[in-house]
Amino acid sequence: MPNCLVCYKWTLDEQDIKIKSEDLSLDSSRAKGKISDFDRNAIEEAALLVEKLGGAVAALSYGTAAVKQSLKDVLSRGPEKSYWVADASAEQADATVTATVLAAAIRKIGPFDLILLGEGSSDLFNQQTAPRLAALLGLPCLSFVNKLEVEGDVVKATRKLDDSVEVVTVKTPVVISVLSEINKPRIPSLKQVLSAAKKPNQELTVADLGLTPEDLAPKAVRKSVKGFVMQRKNIIFKETAAAANVAKLKESLASLGLS
Amino acid sequence: MANENEDKFDAIVVGAGPAGSACAYTLAKAGRNVLLLERGNSAGSKNVSGGRLYTYALELVEEGLYQRAPLQRKIVREQIMMLGAESAMTVDYFNPAFGGNDAEKKAAQSYSVVRASLDEWFAGEAETAGAILASGQVVDGLIEENGKIVGIKVGEDEMRADLVVAADGVNSLLGQKAGLFPDASSHAVGVGVKETIELPDSVINARFGVTDAEGAARVAIGCTDGISGGAFMYTNKGSLSLGIVFNADQAGKQKRHIQDIFQDFKMHPAIQALIEGGTSVEYGAHLVPENGYDSIPKRLYRDGFLVVGDAAQFGINTGLIIRGMDLAIVSGLAAAKAALKTTSPADLGPEYMRQLDELLLMANQKAYRNFHHIFEINRIFHGYPELANDALQFLFTVDGKVPTPMLKGLLNTVRKHASYGQLAADGWKAFRAL
Repeated sequence: MPNCLVCYKWTLDEQDIKIKSEDLSLDSSRAKGKISDFDRNAIEEAALLVEKLGGAVAALSYGTAAVKQSLKDVLSRGPEKSYWVADASAEQADATVTATVLAAAIRKIGPFDLILLGEGSSDLFNQQTAPRLAALLGLPCLSFVNKLEVEGDVVKATRKLDDSVEVVTVKTPVVISVLSEINKPRIPSLKQVLSAAKKPNQELTVADLGLTPEDLAPKAVRKSVKGFVMQRKNIIFKETAAAANVAKLKESLASLGLS
Repeated sequence: MANENEDKFDAIVVGAGPAGSACAYTLAKAGRNVLLLERGNSAGSKNVSGGRLYTYALELVEEGLYQRAPLQRKIVREQIMMLGAESAMTVDYFNPAFGGNDAEKKAAQSYSVVRASLDEWFAGEAETAGAILASGQVVDGLIEENGKIVGIKVGEDEMRADLVVAADGVNSLLGQKAGLFPDASSHAVGVGVKETIELPDSVINARFGVTDAEGAARVAIGCTDGISGGAFMYTNKGSLSLGIVFNADQAGKQKRHIQDIFQDFKMHPAIQALIEGGTSVEYGAHLVPENGYDSIPKRLYRDGFLVVGDAAQFGINTGLIIRGMDLAIVSGLAAAKAALKTTSPADLGPEYMRQLDELLLMANQKAYRNFHHIFEINRIFHGYPELANDALQFLFTVDGKVPTPMLKGLLNTVRKHASYGQLAADGWKAFRAL
C-alpha cells in the first residue's frame, strides 16, 4: 500500500492571459488560477493507485499567496490532505528554488514511497523540477512516464522517449513525472467537492522548513516577460507562370537573408 | 459551516446567478447550512446578460453591499435611439442625480455590470458568509418523497435538504421537473444575442460623453428587421456590451438569422462610429423572460421547493427600462426570508409569495402588466423609427429650394409611413397598454 505524495503547481490559466498590442506585455488581471495541466494527471494517477491498492495520497504545493485558492480543487481530486508553502519568492522561483522548497517540505512531512509530479508546468514547462527534486532527495527519478504499475515496493513504469519506449522497474521510494496521456483527470463529483471542504490542509512556512533567503533566490532571474505575436509578411506572388513565382519567392527570401 | 450529516443541508440553491447567490448569502448569514450549486466552471461563466444592475436590490439584501460589488460605471445617461436606414435619432437624458451622491455614500441608481465578475463576486460573498459553493455541478433531477421535494440529484450523487431553491435560470429544468410549469414557450421568451467589445476607456468616455466612473445605457429600435425587439448598449470599464433581444416567436419564422440582423445593426453608421476600432472579446446568445407578469407561472412553489429569478420568469421590459437582475435578487431574498420565517414546509410557499408582495416585486410586475402589448404594435419596430428619422430630415434639410410648409411637410412624412387609421389604432393600443 503505497504512501504517495503529489506535487502540483497553481498556475494562471493561459487562456485568460492577453497580450497587449501596444507593448506586447501580458495582461493577466483577468486570469483565473488552475492546477497545472500535467500535475492534474499526476494527482489522478496517485488517486487511481490508492483507490486500487489502498495506501494514502497527500498533496504539496509551493506558490505565492494565491496557492491557497487551490486547496479545494486539489482535495476534491483524491488527496486526503494537502500541504502548502505560500511565499512571495515563488513569483520568481526557478526549478532549483522550487525543488529546494519541495525537498525541504518532503523531509519534514515524509517519507513517501511514491512522489508524483507532472512532466512540466503549464506556464514555464522547464521539465526540471522532478529530476532536481529527486537529486536533492537522493532518489531515483523516472520521467516521461505514460504507464505506471505498482506491486509492493516495485514500480514498473513505461517511459515514452523521443525515439523509443522504455520499460523500467525500480524499487520505491522514487520520484516520477508523468505525461498527460497517462490518464484522463476526473471531473470531481459533487460529493468529492463537498468532502474536500472537510479535508485537512496544513501550511508550511519557509521558516518552518529552515530555508534561507539564499535558498529562495533564483539563479536565473526573469527580467521581463513579453508576448509573442507572429508578424506575417503578407506577400502574395501572382505571376501566371509557376517558375516566375518561384523566382520571386527565392528573391524575397534572399532579401530577408533566408536563402 | 459543515453539517454533521454530510448529505443533508438546510437549503440547496441551484444556480449561482444573482437570485441564487442573494438567497444563499442571506441564508448563510443567518447561520443556515447552505449548498450553492453552479453549472458553469465558475459563477457567471454561463451568463450572457447585457448588464445593468439597479442598486436598490442589493441594498435590500444588505445596506452597503453594493460597495463591495465589482460594478462598472454608474449610469448617468439614459439614451433612446431610433434607427433609420442610414440615419439615427437619439434622445439623450443626462441626470447626475442618477449617479448617487459620493459624499453621502448614496449609491447610484444603477450601474453597468459584467456578469462574469459580478456573479463570481456574489457567489464568493455567499461562500464567505458560510455557504458551500460547488461549481461545475449539473443538477439533473429532484428527489421527491410523499409529495415533497427533499433533495437533488447530481450525476450519481444525491443530496438532501429541507429546501431546494430553483435559481436555474430561464427555461428552468427544475421547475419543469417539479411539475410547476411546462417548457418555456416561444411567445413568452425573447432570444438575445450579445457581444462585448473592448475599447480604451478614453475612447468610450469621448464617444458617450461620460467620465471614467460614469456611463451610458442605451436602447435602440428600428434595428430588428421588423421583428418585435430592440437593441441595448451599456458602457463598462474598458468595454461596451451591446446586443439585440428579439421576440423568439417572430425570429423563428423569419428567414434571416438573428446574428445577421445583429451584424447589420453593428454596421449601421451610427453604431459603427461607437464601436469602431474595438475588439470583440465575447459573443453569446440566451433566452430572456420577456412577457412580464402574465408569464409568471401560477405556482412558484411546492413543499420544500421554491422558484426564483429568471426561472420564475420575473422580468420587466418597458422598452425604456429592462429589468431582470434586480428582480432576481429580490426574489432570492424573498425565498431566503420565507425559509427563515417558517418551520413547516406547508407554510413556506405561501410565505414566499407574501414576501414577494412585501418586497414589492409583484407590485412592480403588475404595474407593467400590460406593457408588452405595446410591442404588438409592429410599426414601433418597422415604420415609426423611419418616420421619426424622415421627419427630422425634413425639419433639418436646407437646400436653397422653396421649403414645403412645415405642417404640410410633416403630415406628408407621416402619411408615407402610416395611415391616420393605423396611427389612431396604434395610439389607442398604446394608450390602453399604458
